[in-house]
Amino acid sequence: MSYYFTILSPTDTPIFNIAFGTSKGGGDGIARFRFPDTAQYMNQFIIHSSLDIVEEAQWINGGMYLKHIDTYPPAAAYISAFLTPSGARFLLLHQPPQLPSGTSSGLGSSSLLGSSASTTRASSSSVAANPTSPQTEEAVRQFMNEVYESYVKTAMSPFYKQGMEIKSPVFRTKVTGAGKKWL
Amino acid sequence: MSTTKASRIGEEIWKTRIDKVNAELVTLTYGTIVAQLCQDYDSDYKQVNQQLDKMGYNIGLRLIEDFLAKSGVGRCANFRDTADMIAKVGFKIFLNVAPTVTNWASDNNQFSLIFDENPLADFVELPDDGRAQDELWFSNILCGVLRGALEMVQMQIEAHFVSDVLRGDDTTEMRVSLVRYIEDEMPPEEE
Amino acid sequence: MAAPPRHSSMMATNAGAPQSGANDRQQVTQQSLTPQPTQGLRVPSNRKTIYDRHLNRSRNAESSRASFAYLFGEMVTYAQRRVTGIQDLEKRLNEQGYPLGLRLLDLLFYRSTSTSSSALSSSSTSSSPPNRPLRIITLLHLIHGPLWRLLFQRSADALEHSVSPDTPNEYMITDNDPLVNTYISVPREMSMLNCAAFVAGIIEGVCDGCGFEAKVSAHNQPTEMWPSRTVFLVRFGDSVMEREKVLERNGVK
Repeated sequence: MSYYFTILSPTDTPIFNIAFGTSKGGGDGIARFRFPDTAQYMNQFIIHSSLDIVEEAQWINGGMYLKHIDTYPPAAAYISAFLTPSGARFLLLHQPPQLPSGTSSGLGSSSLLGSSASTTRASSSSVAANPTSPQTEEAVRQFMNEVYESYVKTAMSPFYKQGMEIKSPVFRTKVTGAGKKWL
Repeated sequence: MSTTKASRIGEEIWKTRIDKVNAELVTLTYGTIVAQLCQDYDSDYKQVNQQLDKMGYNIGLRLIEDFLAKSGVGRCANFRDTADMIAKVGFKIFLNVAPTVTNWASDNNQFSLIFDENPLADFVELPDDGRAQDELWFSNILCGVLRGALEMVQMQIEAHFVSDVLRGDDTTEMRVSLVRYIEDEMPPEEE
Repeated sequence: MAAPPRHSSMMATNAGAPQSGANDRQQVTQQSLTPQPTQGLRVPSNRKTIYDRHLNRSRNAESSRASFAYLFGEMVTYAQRRVTGIQDLEKRLNEQGYPLGLRLLDLLFYRSTSTSSSALSSSSTSSSPPNRPLRIITLLHLIHGPLWRLLFQRSADALEHSVSPDTPNEYMITDNDPLVNTYISVPREMSMLNCAAFVAGIIEGVCDGCGFEAKVSAHNQPTEMWPSRTVFLVRFGDSVMEREKVLERNGVK
């Protein structure tokens, strides 16, 4: 599984981005997106495409963690969202690894899929393989909560203004650590 | 007066005679002040330090009366007593902390206050602009408070921070030096 | 489903932003999990940074009311030198309170997710994370109760809805004896000043943060018993009132 995590300000400005791979099941923590050359652009594109859905869900579900809210089949990308009460959005894109040989498609709207993207096995319940299983939802929730704690610490500083890019290497280390621990 | 006795007095007054507020309200209000100054002075941190010191001085001039009324303590016998009174009674009843008095100069006219806890700086991370950690003394208002308060009891002192955990130092330390005892006939300086 | 890019122009901006280079690098190599020592702020060797400090550590800590009054007084005096009149001054105090509202909101929610005795519910039986307020009344209860308790160690004294049919978007939160007015001596030429404008700014920050665009102002409304009684007038924007109707229809609580 490869992850792209971004924090968007209330006005949709990205204030923090990080890409990483799973550390579960012997994973080495390195992101391997399917389109490595354009991954940065693609990931931002996919995440921003999901914002309308986030904003709709935001006024139906009062929880902070909105779970898996959107799927982008062409890239087999799944988006999970967490909303801070002060309006920042934490968005996590996860992309299961592409298996070398074709397998049965486990994706919901598989009719729209290009052939190269339909690779996930829905039967697997491990975090590393199935982005929508309850175990994954729980792992993502834990990850989001841990990042939220660090985010609040950042935001409490009198010098931090809403919407400012989060540049602290300590914050980045904390997010990396949370990813390693839960994802 | 011994340090232990001063600590006891401070504790006692804090417990029985002080109106309290949530410490975080104080922390957040102070943070707002410093951030505002940095904005108004366009991150000229030397000016911000000065401005904080000035604000502290104004507070000190008024605070001493409150301090004397609440503590009921009399004139200190020497500067060592003064140091304990500041650290164990003054800081205790106004900020609920009691910094350590240490590093006395051989002439007994200079000491350091080491702050294990500094409620003013809770939640604070200095701006990452390559300068703030070298130039800004976030808690500089405290230097002004000491200067103002002691001036009202005929002591001219000089106080400045020499280290701050917010700057990446391992301790937060303020250096306090007695300049002179002011003669009774001299009015306090105007700032 | 392939949704069209809603923010394509914004994304283009982002692609050129300074941080994207660093991210590309991280994405490709990602060799080290620790930051480069040359980057960012220096930290003490004992790692006393904000990230290593528990957010609940000062939760029940106390300070002296006098210190708050001195600091707040200096804040007002300083602001006064940079403005031309009372309105200007109140505006400035409001603006200084606003970011605090955003911070306190995150702190409140963090504390109620991280502890079993929730800061947001009066009955501490449930340990499930609190919900973001979706409706006006939930938001106002959050301000009247948990926010006030965090700041002033007690709830506000009243919460009312405007009775006038012309102003259904107006709500009033009353504090009979606001801390910010009790110890603060205001210069005579400023006798109309209400320092609670600072608190009004905090409330405005909380409302805005939660997605309820609002203007909040503080008004002196003394009674015989409460000479510094202050009413915070919360006026929600049209978009909020529109959404409120939709949510009402859809049965969202």
